[in-house]
Amino acid sequence: MRVDRINRWNPRGLWTLFQRAVVRHVLRWIDSLAGPSTTMLLYLAVLVLARGSDSHEVWPGVDLVSFVAAGLVIHAACISAFESTAGYMLWERMEGIIQDTLAAPFSAFELLIGWVLGAAACGLMTGMVVATVFLPFVDWPAFDLLRLLGFAVLGTLLFALIGVIVGLWARKWDHYAAAESFVLMPLGLLSGTFFLREEVPEAGAWILSGNPVFYIVDGFRSGLLGHSDGNSVVGSLLLVALVYGLAILAWRLVFRGWRLKP
Amino acid sequence: MVSRIEVQAGRTQEGAAPARPWRLASRSFGRLNGRGLWTLYLKEVKRFVNVATQTLLAPVMTTLLFLAVFTLALGRGNTLVDGVSYGLFLVPGLTVMAMMQNAFANTSSSIVIAKVQGNIVDVLMPPLSGFELALGFAAGGVTRGLLVGLAVWTALSLFTSFAVHDLPAMLFFATNACLMLSLLGLIGGIWSEKFDHIAAVTNFVVTPLSFLSGTFYTVDRLPDGWQFLAHLNPFFYMIDGVRYGALGHADSPLWVGALVLLAINAALFLLAWRILHTGWRLKA
Repeated sequence: MRVDRINRWNPRGLWTLFQRAVVRHVLRWIDSLAGPSTTMLLYLAVLVLARGSDSHEVWPGVDLVSFVAAGLVIHAACISAFESTAGYMLWERMEGIIQDTLAAPFSAFELLIGWVLGAAACGLMTGMVVATVFLPFVDWPAFDLLRLLGFAVLGTLLFALIGVIVGLWARKWDHYAAAESFVLMPLGLLSGTFFLREEVPEAGAWILSGNPVFYIVDGFRSGLLGHSDGNSVVGSLLLVALVYGLAILAWRLVFRGWRLKP
Repeated sequence: MVSRIEVQAGRTQEGAAPARPWRLASRSFGRLNGRGLWTLYLKEVKRFVNVATQTLLAPVMTTLLFLAVFTLALGRGNTLVDGVSYGLFLVPGLTVMAMMQNAFANTSSSIVIAKVQGNIVDVLMPPLSGFELALGFAAGGVTRGLLVGLAVWTALSLFTSFAVHDLPAMLFFATNACLMLSLLGLIGGIWSEKFDHIAAVTNFVVTPLSFLSGTFYTVDRLPDGWQFLAHLNPFFYMIDGVRYGALGHADSPLWVGALVLLAINAALFLLAWRILHTGWRLKA
């Protein structure tokens, strides 16, 4: 009997894992692409309607709509990346079909890479769709591809990793919902997507500075608007450190089979 | 020999021969199966109380966040909306939004999960009529909506202070809002064949209607054409009515809102009743 040898590295398996996440995302486009686009458009519409006639410029040449829209794009991308890992991992664990993935010849590191890169790709896809939907309504003066991609990738990776950890930790949908509404929602909504750091009271500004999502949103936004609210260098270093730390943690958890294997 | 059927029908007595030895009778429940209805209602309530973090606490958190974000983004400069601060203006609308979303989620998730898992037969098998089913499910959703409203209101009152202007009006509009969304969730849940379908209803019907209902702005400030459109949105009347009850200011005449809501609720209830009676998408 011939045994297929898988050497140090299982690229075909990795590609399969990645592809599965992306294909699933595309096939369920109503829920994964059209849904977030609608919700983000609604946020924008409500803001414009509530703001009314007294429109003001956030920065010279940048109106409030373009400002908020840029933040919403990365917001949608990050949430999408989180759902792609956490939601499906929990579902597969509850249904028991995660065995199919665990029984495949993957090292823990490969599993993690496959899950996280697939989720990040899904997040970027959602972000691109939302940005395209926004294009007719906004006026983004800058286009700094390096910044855009850099912060989008860091943001989606971070949220995909959080998703892996939540996907391992949660035992039922109640836990998932708790993580979503008590951790992710606060981090996402109080991230400076809707307002400038300078404009909030002192205590709020401190909270913002400690919120990693603030650096994702701010860095990404600076790629579209050319203005930054915080320090991009500090932000990117912080994000790289966070992604690295969470990756190590998630890798150890998957390696030990925490809540995955009996 | 006494047959089981006779014993069950309660026709046999010691020594007395039954007048009609063969009588196949079903158990009679009267006009309304009160016990069945109560059981269904309790099942619906216990279902969400069991996961209270997700069903009661999470809406409180979300609403507080919305309040913080919108006050920070828009409420600066002490601008007054309808004579009150923007934060205060938001409170009733945000509360109703949370109530509506939860009332909808309660009935729709109950039905869709039961359908996907197949345990919907446990609800269809008992002797419950379409009317009783519709009433039981809707009452469960209304209960969740009102409890969420109470929780959100309590949490929000820690951050803003105000006196309720007209409590009966507020309760009337809040209950009708919950009822409408419960019935919509019931009908949407029965229509859905998988989770994606009900998620689409939430994403493309319920969320847009509730966001564009005037929770975040007064419709007075909209351009003319948009004002007309806003008045076509039934969610607008719920928000407006509750806001009147809380703050004493309404964008449209109250009786119009009350009539619209009562009419829509009656129509939706009849539709739900009819659907459950025929077993559309429920029975083979």
